[in-house]
Amino acid sequence: MSLKIVAVTACIAGIAHTYMAQANLKKYAEKSGYEIKVETQGSMGIENRLSQEDIDNADVVIFAVDTTVSGRDRFDGKKILELGTSAVVKDGKSAIEKAAALVSGN
Amino acid sequence: MQIIDLISQKNIVMNLDAKTEQEAIKKLSIKLFENDYINNAGGFYDDVLERESYTTTGIGNGIAIPHGKSDYVNESTVIFAKTTEGIEWNSLDGSKVRIIFLMAVNPRDKGKEHLQALAKIASRLMDDHFVRAIKEANTTEEVIQILSK
Repeated sequence: MSLKIVAVTACIAGIAHTYMAQANLKKYAEKSGYEIKVETQGSMGIENRLSQEDIDNADVVIFAVDTTVSGRDRFDGKKILELGTSAVVKDGKSAIEKAAALVSGN
Repeated sequence: MQIIDLISQKNIVMNLDAKTEQEAIKKLSIKLFENDYINNAGGFYDDVLERESYTTTGIGNGIAIPHGKSDYVNESTVIFAKTTEGIEWNSLDGSKVRIIFLMAVNPRDKGKEHLQALAKIASRLMDDHFVRAIKEANTTEEVIQILSK
């Protein structure tokens, strides 16, 4: 099954966990052959901002955040998996699996 | 800016002797003070511990990345350390820490260069090859070589 995932990562200090979570989501999505785009909301501001088209076309959304997602209303009506950044840093594989399960309704 | 531009040779400690997380952060703060990257070791230490109190920075795999955005930082940098023994750090996977990247961030930094280099370190810590190489490195030169890639 091919999946399109979009994600937002954000941590408290915006220095490290935001970017570790981004890297780990990409790593495990790619291992499963899924497409993924990750927007980071860190101390450098918003980078790799998702377009509304990216969001509309995605099968599922992952929020790996310890704080509020900026522009959360862009994701209204989507299937959203919300986790802390630490959970994603610790186990990126299960984050991706959970997102896939959300799509298939398991 | 590459990782290696951020982490000068002076900021690589190969045999950090510390029994606890607090002792490790304190010793590395003093080293940053001696190297002139911060202007108050105690103040910086407190700022790092405050961040540590929110969630652990023991990211697993024997690695910790304590960090502080602190007014006592003169110039943003990273200090790298390998410890002589495993340190209890309340890590995500329960592992004891042997590798520390202590990040010092100047909140008044105008440009993004330092933050970009720090983000690069953070994301490379998710790369199994990078982690393995850094764990196997035994000399300052080897560490520099890995961080230069």
